[in-house]
Amino acid sequence: MTEPTTSFADSGEAVISRKIEVSPDLSASNLSADEFAHYYDIERTVDEIVKGGYKCVALQFPDGLLRDSVPIFKALRSMLGEEIHLYTLADTSYGSCCVDEVASQHVDADVVVHYGHACLSQTSQIPVIYVFGHKSIDLLNCVMELTNSVRDSLRASSAERLVLRCDVVYLHKAAEIAEQLHTSLGRPVNYREIPLKAEPLGQPLRSVAENQRLGVTDQATGDVFLYIGSESLSLTNLLVTHGSSEIHAYDPVTRQARIESHITNKLLMRRYAVLQKARDSDVFGILVGTLGVASYLPLISRIRKLLAQAQKKSYTITVGKLNPPKLANFLEIECFVLIACPENSLIDSKEFFKPIITPFELEIAISADRSWTGEYILDFGRLLEREIGPAGEVDNDEDGQRPEFSLVTGQYRKPKRFGGVASPISDEGSSIVVLRNEGTVSVVRDSAAAQFLQNRTYRGLETRVGQDMPSVLEQGRSGIARGYLDDHRPS
Amino acid sequence: MVNFTVDQIRALMDRPTNIRNMSVIAHVDHGKSTLTDSLVSKAGIIASSKAGDVRFTDTREDEKERGITIKSTAISMYFQVNKEEIDAIKQKTEGSEFLINLIDSPGHVDFSSEVTAALRVTDGALVVVDCVEGVCVQTETVLRQALTERIKPVVIINKVDRALLELQVKPEELYQQFSRTIENVNVIISTYHDAALGDVQVYPDKGTVAFGSGLHGWAFTLRQFATRYSKKFGVDKEKMMGKLWGDNYFNPVTKKWTTKGTADGGKTLDRAFNTFVMDPIFKIFDAIMNYKKDSVFGMLEKLDVKLVPEEKDLEGKALLKVVMRKFLPAGDSLLEMIVINLPSPATAQRYRVETLYEGPMDDESAIGIRDCNPQAPLVLYVSKMVPTSDKGRFYAFGRVFSGTVRAGPKIRIQGPNYVPGKKDDLFVKSVQRTVLMMGRYVEPLEDCPAGNIVGLVGIDQFLLKSGTLTTSETAHNMKVMKFSVSPVVQVAVEVKNAADLPKLVEGLKRLTKSDPCVQAWIAESGEHIVAGAGELHLEICLKDLQEDHAGVPLKISDPVVGYRETVKTESSIVALSKSQNKHNRLYLKAQPLDEELTLAIENGKVNARDDFKARARVMADEYGWDVTDARKIWCFGPDTTGPNLLVDVTKGVQYLNEIKDSCVAAFQWATKEGVCAEENMRGVRVNILDVTLHTDAIHRGGGQIIPTCRRATYAACLLATPGIQEPVYLVEIQCPENAIGGIYSVLNQRRGQVFSEEQRVGTPMFSVKAYLPVNESFGFNGALRSATAGQAFPQNVFDHWDTMNGSPLEKGSKLEELVKNIRIRKGLKPDIPPLDTYYDKL
Repeated sequence: MTEPTTSFADSGEAVISRKIEVSPDLSASNLSADEFAHYYDIERTVDEIVKGGYKCVALQFPDGLLRDSVPIFKALRSMLGEEIHLYTLADTSYGSCCVDEVASQHVDADVVVHYGHACLSQTSQIPVIYVFGHKSIDLLNCVMELTNSVRDSLRASSAERLVLRCDVVYLHKAAEIAEQLHTSLGRPVNYREIPLKAEPLGQPLRSVAENQRLGVTDQATGDVFLYIGSESLSLTNLLVTHGSSEIHAYDPVTRQARIESHITNKLLMRRYAVLQKARDSDVFGILVGTLGVASYLPLISRIRKLLAQAQKKSYTITVGKLNPPKLANFLEIECFVLIACPENSLIDSKEFFKPIITPFELEIAISADRSWTGEYILDFGRLLEREIGPAGEVDNDEDGQRPEFSLVTGQYRKPKRFGGVASPISDEGSSIVVLRNEGTVSVVRDSAAAQFLQNRTYRGLETRVGQDMPSVLEQGRSGIARGYLDDHRPS
Repeated sequence: MVNFTVDQIRALMDRPTNIRNMSVIAHVDHGKSTLTDSLVSKAGIIASSKAGDVRFTDTREDEKERGITIKSTAISMYFQVNKEEIDAIKQKTEGSEFLINLIDSPGHVDFSSEVTAALRVTDGALVVVDCVEGVCVQTETVLRQALTERIKPVVIINKVDRALLELQVKPEELYQQFSRTIENVNVIISTYHDAALGDVQVYPDKGTVAFGSGLHGWAFTLRQFATRYSKKFGVDKEKMMGKLWGDNYFNPVTKKWTTKGTADGGKTLDRAFNTFVMDPIFKIFDAIMNYKKDSVFGMLEKLDVKLVPEEKDLEGKALLKVVMRKFLPAGDSLLEMIVINLPSPATAQRYRVETLYEGPMDDESAIGIRDCNPQAPLVLYVSKMVPTSDKGRFYAFGRVFSGTVRAGPKIRIQGPNYVPGKKDDLFVKSVQRTVLMMGRYVEPLEDCPAGNIVGLVGIDQFLLKSGTLTTSETAHNMKVMKFSVSPVVQVAVEVKNAADLPKLVEGLKRLTKSDPCVQAWIAESGEHIVAGAGELHLEICLKDLQEDHAGVPLKISDPVVGYRETVKTESSIVALSKSQNKHNRLYLKAQPLDEELTLAIENGKVNARDDFKARARVMADEYGWDVTDARKIWCFGPDTTGPNLLVDVTKGVQYLNEIKDSCVAAFQWATKEGVCAEENMRGVRVNILDVTLHTDAIHRGGGQIIPTCRRATYAACLLATPGIQEPVYLVEIQCPENAIGGIYSVLNQRRGQVFSEEQRVGTPMFSVKAYLPVNESFGFNGALRSATAGQAFPQNVFDHWDTMNGSPLEKGSKLEELVKNIRIRKGLKPDIPPLDTYYDKL
């Protein structure tokens, strides 16, 4: 495109000159070539690619590691030769921990090499080779700190098993640490090897994510968890999903270990408050926050079904990465349900105008009894295994209206009901008059947007029919949205 | 035995001119419930010998144990007035039978909301004042509330027996004490003068003041004595009443009336009140208490009081009680005073309709209320919920203002947020049963016409605390009640056992229903918060919650206080925030609102729902606002009604109306969670000075504007010297002189400020008034008791919000510490976000 700017598309200059804030990961910057190759598992990657017979490979980097993409690309190219096409993907639409399947399909890749931190979610289409990087860790210090931290609580509790979990970047040392902890604590430390290559769903091979998932489920409560890694979403997730277990975390950066589980309760209580807000909502937005996790589609349809059953209105929205302005554009939506990989599901931010909940929280929020035992599920697979409860909650006793006590405001609120007024079965028996009558009622009821518009003060341009004279056509504005040429206050 | 039947009462209900709806209001321990007993015994509901001991209207166990009233209780009575007195009634009446619906209310300040709910359904009030303690803080509060509701007061000066027996005062001293008390009452009344209500000051010579003793069951007005003496002197009764009060003297030598206190010979004369009214009473007291039995019976004969033989054997106080009760029965004199001086619903609704009804004064509902017409469309106000024996269910307690309510037909149940023409907060249901509330019992009724107080069964699920019931589709709501107390003391409750959580939630709902004032909600941190007016109120509520409503063991946190965020100056510079896409800019400034206006908004005098033109007029006339500014108030916040204003002062900005909804939403959000500690904001006016908007609608949507407007509001507040307001109690302490030192030391430790200390004339008692921050009031009663050897009794009533000294932005200051603690409690980052989080450079 050699043409200058038009009003429809700018030159893109602004995008190129814009600075984005990235905190580059410098851990691999001062390494020699050999060390570098080791850090990024170049050899193993090449082996896997050759073994799998892949012809087209996509390399996916998080923003923080992009600076290493060129050396890695060069190293791989030199070892693989020209026949195998290599592509570097940038800028994932969602969390960089997920495999960007859509982008890799754009280049028709057979396999994705995923660098950096990963959530290990199951992919649906494409095999993945994970390269986590070999971050250094002070083994002795780690074992010592953890031993000190755990010893007291082990003495006090009857916990049978110790489970070691770690941030994926320290996985390469996990076996050693487990071994040493075993000797220093005198108890076996459970630890599960994570395969570094994952097949998509439907392949006979058992996937990484599922392996890890099973590692979670079969643990009884009361186990003691050891976590190695800095404070991160993975740690938060571990805390939330294992609310009843004791969790000790060692941070390799600060070189300290401490017990983390005491904050879990606060975290869960905050979620409980958000959940109450969800109970008070009638219009939901289902946010598609991932395309990389295998069962997201069945989950979306399940949530739609649940909401319809509870006579709530739902919209399905995809906005890419979430931020407050994007979501605040949907003023009529009272609560969002985020469908994303477990790492990105919990949004604990005050900046958003409306609450964002996880699918599990939604299920509790719209279930008839408000009990919440404290268990917490982030994983799609386990959610889908749960049965959808009967639709008994909606009482159509008279006209199905009864106020609910809202814990958020301490007041009564009258829930709006959308759909479900005239179910097809009951229609057959009723007379035409009633049908028609119901029809008109349900038109109003069903349109959440129409109701919302009613409450707005500004409802679009006024049509002043017959009041204004037709005017002569004028020259319109030109330029780009950022500042039109005739803008009265150019920026 | 009850001397009337439900049928008799039902028949009287159809005669609105012969109904008196009245509440009994007073300071705590001035003897409301005891006095009510006298009235109830008159109706034969309890034996007259027990009156004064039973406290029939205290129905709860804890009320009996503590000896204080907690809930207001209604009772209906039948009363036949003496035929001769009917002429004294200055309003329309038919016959001599009357229906009196009486509501006994609690006197402790923590339960003032119960009083408010009682006042709403009544037209008159019997104000009880302790003859020794005089007008106290709560007397003033309830009286003020009654007058703003246009409720006519009559006064009884109670516990006269104490003055006679314990303090041994002379008749003239007693007269002075009486007139001082009456004067104090009248001072309060005259400050709330309301032209529509007319002069409602009370005068003994008009019969609107009674004197008596609830404990002994006797009371009188000057009317009784005037009746006795008018025959003797051959003077008209009304004239005689006038002579019996004030500077009127009777010279026994010349047998002439005079207004001078000295006779010609220089001899001092006794005041007629003393000679004719107090003297017989003093003599009886003297004779009986000093065991001069013979002279007693002589006197009794003269006074036409007959005793049965066994009563003649009594001695001392017991005899005194019997004699006085026969001589001046409290029930008769008080009910007579009530019937003669308090308005009937037919009279009262004519002038009350304007203050009761939100809609236009010429619609069918307003006319129905005005005329108290049982044939008009139904308008009924439910003022509170009364628990039934069936757990979790409630009677809706209220008053029929127009039409007739009966079981069966569908009626519209309009909650407090109902707006005519919309469907929010509206339910169409039918009442299952109507009942007559008789203290601890109920009696079924077939229907209930306008002007009466009634209990309804079967609609409690649709109303939380109060609401309007009507059959008219065009009816507006009745005005919501304004409480003099606010729920400023909060605790967090938690279940001990996680499985009990659903029960707690249900329990909180029931608790919220059962008390007009208490609030329950869930905080952002996930804690269940219960808020009440004071420590006692919360204690009772939590006890109910634990034992009754939820029925599960609870963990209860220490009480904490809710604060308010405000600003102290105008923003030093214009706060600018840019939207995320950098295409829109908002220029805002914050400034403090006048405290007067803030209060007016909180009291509903300036209301978000008022017509904006009328409101602008009021704001211009009374609060010095510019009319154009006042018309351009975009919204109130938080919750669209709070005491913060968003004002558009821009000049000719294009597309401005498009972003109004977004700004309103952002303002609600920002005022609900202020910038310093995420507490509600109070008394802040935010001006939108200028706005630069992108010319394409798509780039100035809610998504861009809402976060920006919130940030700009925060920036404006940070630039306007943010301050924190804390709730402050007015404390009134009655004590003997030697306890004052202890009071001062306790108050000093707790940042209290004494602003008045005076001796009650004629008594050794002192009354100390002070301001005490609510935060310092926890355990105050206990500390005071131990510092004064149990001689001082405080009454704390929420008085105002006080802006605390210092700035939360100042590092190391006390206020910063306070804010930090709140933030940590709420699970926020401990530090207030710096300005540049919200403020953008151009």
